Amino acid sequence: MKYDVVIIGGGMTGLISSIYLSSKGLKTAVVSKGDPVCSISSGCIDVAGDFQGIPDDHPYTMAGREKVRSALMYFKEIMKDAGLPYWGEVFENRSIYTPIAKKRETCLVPFSMKNADGAKGKSLHIISFQGMKDFFPGYFKEDTSDFNCSLFDAGTLTTVGIATKFDDPAFREQFILWLKECRIQEEFIGIPAVLGTKNPQKLIDQIELVTGCKVFEIPTLPPSMPGLRLFRKLKSYSSLQGVDFFWGHGISEITEEENLVTSLIIDQPGRPTIIEGRSFILTTGSFVSGGLFAEKESIRETVFNLPVSIPPGKPRLNDSFFDTEQPLGRAGIRVSSHYQPVDSPWKNIFVAGSILENSQIMKYHCGHGLAIVTGLDAAENCEEYLK
Amino acid sequence: MIQYNCDPPPKVAEGYLERREQEGYMKLRIKMIKTDVIIIGGGATGTGVARDLALRGIDHCLLEKKDFAAGATGACHGLLHSGGRYAVNDPEAARECISENQILRKIGKKCVEFTEGLFVRLPGDTLEYRDDFLESCHRTGISTEIFSASKALGLVPNLNPALEEAVKVPDCSIDPFRLCMLNAESSSLRGGKILTHHKVIEVIKERGNCVGVKAQEQFSGEIIEIRGKVIINASGAWGSIVAKMSGSDVPMNLSKGSLIIANHRLTSMVINRLRPASNGDIIVPNETVSLAGTTSIHVNDPENLSISPEEIGLITSEASQMVPEFDSVRLIRSYTGVRPLLKGDSHSDDDRAISRGFRIIDHKNGMFSIMGGKLTTYRLMAEKMTDRIMEHFGINVPCTTAEKPLEGQNQLSGYPVSNRIEKLDDIICECELVTRKDVEKVIDSVGTKYIGDIQHRTRLGMGPCQGGFCTYRALGMMQEKGKVTSGESIRVLREFLDRRYRGIRPVLWGDQMREEQLVEGIYLGILGLADK
Ligand SMILES: Cc1cc2nc3c(=O)[nH]c(=O)nc-3n(C[C@H](O)[C@H](O)[C@H](O)COP(=O)(O)OP(=O)(O)OC[C@H]3O[C@@H](n4cnc5c(N)ncnc54)[C@H](O)[C@@H]3O)c2cc1C
Ligand SMILES: Cc1cc2nc3c(=O)[nH]c(=O)nc-3n(C[C@H](O)[C@H](O)[C@H](O)COP(=O)(O)OP(=O)(O)OC[C@H]3O[C@@H](n4cnc5c(N)ncnc54)[C@H](O)[C@@H]3O)c2cc1C
Repeated sequence: MKYDVVIIGGGMTGLISSIYLSSKGLKTAVVSKGDPVCSISSGCIDVAGDFQGIPDDHPYTMAGREKVRSALMYFKEIMKDAGLPYWGEVFENRSIYTPIAKKRETCLVPFSMKNADGAKGKSLHIISFQGMKDFFPGYFKEDTSDFNCSLFDAGTLTTVGIATKFDDPAFREQFILWLKECRIQEEFIGIPAVLGTKNPQKLIDQIELVTGCKVFEIPTLPPSMPGLRLFRKLKSYSSLQGVDFFWGHGISEITEEENLVTSLIIDQPGRPTIIEGRSFILTTGSFVSGGLFAEKESIRETVFNLPVSIPPGKPRLNDSFFDTEQPLGRAGIRVSSHYQPVDSPWKNIFVAGSILENSQIMKYHCGHGLAIVTGLDAAENCEEYLK
Repeated sequence: MIQYNCDPPPKVAEGYLERREQEGYMKLRIKMIKTDVIIIGGGATGTGVARDLALRGIDHCLLEKKDFAAGATGACHGLLHSGGRYAVNDPEAARECISENQILRKIGKKCVEFTEGLFVRLPGDTLEYRDDFLESCHRTGISTEIFSASKALGLVPNLNPALEEAVKVPDCSIDPFRLCMLNAESSSLRGGKILTHHKVIEVIKERGNCVGVKAQEQFSGEIIEIRGKVIINASGAWGSIVAKMSGSDVPMNLSKGSLIIANHRLTSMVINRLRPASNGDIIVPNETVSLAGTTSIHVNDPENLSISPEEIGLITSEASQMVPEFDSVRLIRSYTGVRPLLKGDSHSDDDRAISRGFRIIDHKNGMFSIMGGKLTTYRLMAEKMTDRIMEHFGINVPCTTAEKPLEGQNQLSGYPVSNRIEKLDDIICECELVTRKDVEKVIDSVGTKYIGDIQHRTRLGMGPCQGGFCTYRALGMMQEKGKVTSGESIRVLREFLDRRYRGIRPVLWGDQMREEQLVEGIYLGILGLADK
């Protein structure tokens, strides 16, 4: 199997890259060891906490403001096309509720969370589910002066369990009937994000119709449906575009010729698969996904063993958990303006996403935003290279 | 189970006092308790004294500023010494240990796991020490059995295959938290008042004599007054601070010891190094994990402890000489505690050489301090202390704590841990298989506002993710039951996360680093806890 581009890592970054490249007629494959962080995220696209404060060494600065804007517009288009539209302006934040009733700033949200932005200080009714493991309405009590809560018995306790039930029309009907009985007086209704494993928009419209309230979903702890919906949608969209997926296995070997990587061998037990490529994009993420690995003394990149930069002479981690300026948050791969790793022997590999040096996702609230922007930018650079 | 120390005392809820004052609560209605004996400190020693007093029919009230075992007791290694470790240098302590070891195995079956222990001799460890060790054990009454290397490896396959031989002794693993809880239970059953989360802030004196204390409830800030005839200072490393409140002096030599926790049980027996006591030479299996340590570093303050990378490096490298897997195993946490050793019992510079024996100090003002000792000998310490109190009161009732089994044990599951895995339906903590019912039971029975109380009593949050998921859930349940408000629980959550992080940070690499980035994403990202 020979591809124009082989993308390693099936997260936000890799998926966006793959969609772009295949749309340009390039034969593209994605190799991913496991499901990405996106699948457990809130599903909202954080772009930046403050659009003014991005430092010079941040990947956003390298991409430039215009690229940030166009990449996010591109993302919105894809999602609309894929049937899970997103809401929001690119350089404007809006708030959502977190599961502990904090208001959190984010940029693009799935339509199911659109209404959360207007709910602050308004009367709120929380609908939850009896015995639900990962959502506790009590957290909302103090935040809203006018607060009420109703519990529906879904017959199951987990997020995914309840969401799966909502895929069943009979269950939805039962829920709507119950909801009518509740006679909710408040202006807004907040519901943990379990309204189906797919786009819940129709159901939300229906709830708004029968209650006359404005409804929004509240993301839950992992496993989180909005994140899962986003990931699944992007992956199936990419697949429909003709991208080939090799999922569930790591990479056991790479082969090279002079200054080019020529192929990867996937670690399938008993049946190693060779994937040849003209170019490669590394989007294996940070520590949490295994793109980077912290040894006791050093930090390693796990596929190509690329050099990893980390601020010199500092302890890796500061004293407080709440300190978002952790030196480790800067660790990653240093790249040229074409997203090619510096000090690497190969000229056909590109790197993007949270594995990049200085991304400092926690500090700049730029998780998925950075993935989308650098993923698209690196893909364009790769396309250019292939020409 | 071992609980992890170095958490700061919970702060009084912001604005709480003001609020209460506005609500007209505080109008000089200080609660007052009258009793005979006031015990300060809810570690092994304090709860041990409470039990002994209860069994001899003396009214008492115990005050602990956090939860049971919040001091050295919960931060210790969890080794019920056979005495082997002390046999060569301190035969007196060794004798105490083996005798108490046998008693606790009898009275505390659900707190003690009879693992037995091996002292392993590695290449370079001398035969002289071995002979000395065997001879000393024999003299002090500690049973020993010599195993060849292959026999020892048969028993504990993870041992360093290069070992020369091993000596078996009756070392055990002990659960210090359960031990304290059950001692307190014996007291409560007989009308003893046990107040956790109450910090003694003042000793009340009249005409030079101690007549009571003032204690502050740590969540609400409420102050209560307890009047008594005698005060027992069993506050471990805080001993001199508490003694000072009564104008007395207890010279102490505080020695910090650190430990690391591996994410699974690497050996089924306690492993010691057959050489003179040194850093990192003991590995103790504890429930589903293994603990290795310890170090010995002089400190001045019993709080604000930190663990240096050097300490972690030292413990890992020493432990992995006995059990090589310690070098690569996933470490889930480190913790540290302070040994409440007394000054002046030795002239040596090495804190480890200071006698582990204990002392009772009569301050001649109605306060007694009981200091030093070991977890293993807590019952004996309590017995001697209570004897003194009885003498003071002129009452003659003998001690029975060595014969009567600890009450309340039938409700505990005991060993092996698999006993606990009966009900898998509604699991709140996936790592330790704690169910919603378990948590609700504690919230109902203890009526707690403290996440720590739930953790200590159920093992919630003690596994590899270290409370990363279940703490949010447990707090949500406390809200459902009306124990905390949402504002309070967010504050508790923040405190918990910072404390948790301090324990994990020294061992953050490999898979634990992955887990940590996940937890960071959940709490700072999804929950939005980063901004106050
Ligand atoms: C718990 C959590 C919640 C978050 N929530 C949000 C949120 O709500 N909004 C937001 O904007 N950001 C959020 N973030 C941040 C954001 O999710 C990430 O920064 C972003 O999605 C990273 O995307 P990525 O493509 O760079 O990497 P990842 O999503 O980490 O994907 C990397 C992929 O590479 C694969 N991989 C790794 N190593 C190999 C290998 N050797 N071979 C093959 N494949 C490999 C992995 O299996 C994985 O699928 C969250 C982060 C966390 C941890
Ligand atoms: C690292 C380490 C490892 C150890 N390993 C072992 C071992 O394996 N086996 C063994 O037998 N021994 C071991 N020890 C020794 C043993 O832990 C201690 O000797 C024993 O636990 C002391 O118990 P204690 O009750 O006297 O003190 P602590 O357990 O320290 O109890 C004192 C209590 O007083 C409370 N307190 C303090 N001030 C106040 C106040 N003002 N008001 C109210 N309460 C207050 C504290 O919160 C604390 O809970 C170890 C010690 C350390 C440090």
